[in-house]
Amino acid sequence: MLTELGAALVAGSLTDEELLARTDVPATVRILPEANVIKIGGQSLIDRGRSAVFPLLDELVANLPDHKMIIGTGAGTRARHAYSVGIDLGMPTGVLSVLGTFVSMQNARMIHYLLARHGIPFIEPAQFPQLPLYLSERRAVVFFGMPPYTFWQPNPKIGRIPPHRTDTGAYLVSEVFGTRSMIYVKDEDGLYTADPKKEPGATFIPSITVEELEALCLDDVVVERSVLDMMKNAKSSRSIQIINGLVPGNLTRALNGEHVGTIISG
Amino acid sequence: MVSDDRPDGRHHLDSLLMRETLLDRAVMAATEAPTVAMLPHCHVVKVGGRSILDGGRRSTYPLVEAISRALARHKLILGTGGGARTRHVFSIGLDLGLPSGVLAQLAIADALGNAHMLGTLLAPYGVVAIPPEIFGHLLPLFIQAAPGVIFNGDPPFGLWEHPPGTGKIPPHRSDAGSFLLAECFGCATVTLVKDVDGIYDRDPKEHPSAKLIEEITVAELADRNLPTLPFDRILLELLGSARQVTRFQVINGLKPELLEPALRGERVGTIVRRDASD
Repeated sequence: MLTELGAALVAGSLTDEELLARTDVPATVRILPEANVIKIGGQSLIDRGRSAVFPLLDELVANLPDHKMIIGTGAGTRARHAYSVGIDLGMPTGVLSVLGTFVSMQNARMIHYLLARHGIPFIEPAQFPQLPLYLSERRAVVFFGMPPYTFWQPNPKIGRIPPHRTDTGAYLVSEVFGTRSMIYVKDEDGLYTADPKKEPGATFIPSITVEELEALCLDDVVVERSVLDMMKNAKSSRSIQIINGLVPGNLTRALNGEHVGTIISG
Repeated sequence: MVSDDRPDGRHHLDSLLMRETLLDRAVMAATEAPTVAMLPHCHVVKVGGRSILDGGRRSTYPLVEAISRALARHKLILGTGGGARTRHVFSIGLDLGLPSGVLAQLAIADALGNAHMLGTLLAPYGVVAIPPEIFGHLLPLFIQAAPGVIFNGDPPFGLWEHPPGTGKIPPHRSDAGSFLLAECFGCATVTLVKDVDGIYDRDPKEHPSAKLIEEITVAELADRNLPTLPFDRILLELLGSARQVTRFQVINGLKPELLEPALRGERVGTIVRRDASD
């Protein structure tokens, strides 16, 4: 065996915490440290149509010379419709996950066609090996945000909606490739103490740690809870920013490393 | 279906979940509802990689014979583990500094190789390994046409594997993938075929007086905080959130005669239950 650890892995149990702790070294390589993952909200951005989408895409294109972008899409209102009907019909979480994937794929295709004249491709999970080439050549790709768990989507603790959706899928891309940023483009300035669309008195939180956020026990949060869970274990992607994509310039500033929304750090 | 155009600028489609963030706890609780079982008469059997297949003919042939007999009475969905080769590729990948998602992607190849070996042995019974790309969607069709099917037990998480709490080994491996599949399709039983009789209260290799635990719940097992388990630890979390498959059994595949009673629901190893009512 190459290493003593290798011998221990072959002979030992992968449930042994002491053995697992030894797998933390050496440090994880950042595969694409210059790339940025940008997730475009489904309900928050794409469902608004051209008034929200066109200015955002113009800003994305303007940033191509300076930034490499892996662009994921949310699902939005059609996923909510599919989940509602699916739950009524008794669909298990894994089937709902398949339905959510279809909707986020529709959104990815639409964004892709609008960016196509810039040579930017849409890639499905099976095409991710081509991602580095596309980033080098065209500086951006579009993918659907849902993680490809399909029938293997774990159940949520409460209810039936798949717990790992497009925020999580995009986040895991940033974690596995060790990207320089993970930016969520939504239609609110960031995290509030409650959903500001329902409670106008909700207070804005410009920056917070995952631990502090969990201690607040908010009933509603701006990003999927499983992203927060995973940030606690992350090796590379320790900070995310949620920005308001309806405000021109926010995406550019976030790509430049400025604080324009809510920064959540692990 | 009416589209909703009240002026928040978003074009909604009328549904129960319209406008929701899908993150609100009260909304989530409202989505709890019974689930249809797609394959309630099928059984998921995970055949261990290191524990069974890596042992070669000695450990595998008798089990294959037991599986072939069981196929006459039961529809079987067989998952395989990756075994020693997966441990080896993990060790090289870790040394090279690769992240958990890459390790998870690499692991699938070993389990798939084992699925093809098991498929070669079971081919006379019409049971073969199905490519992962089509397995999930076509499973009900395949299982109607054949007495059993084989897949690589790993879930298709790959690059999207969750970073684990400790270290970098992918937490969702072939036990977890086999269980998640059974849960989604509402299968009758989940049996993990290993080379130990079940879960012991202490490591039987070090403590000859260790006692086999016949039945235990997720909460009791968590309380015991055993240093090792004969299955992916994440399985406890997954079973805890299960809606359809509320137990699984660990059996010793070196005693292949235990397979059929396990499929009938008899306790022949260790049964892990979601909670005491299951």
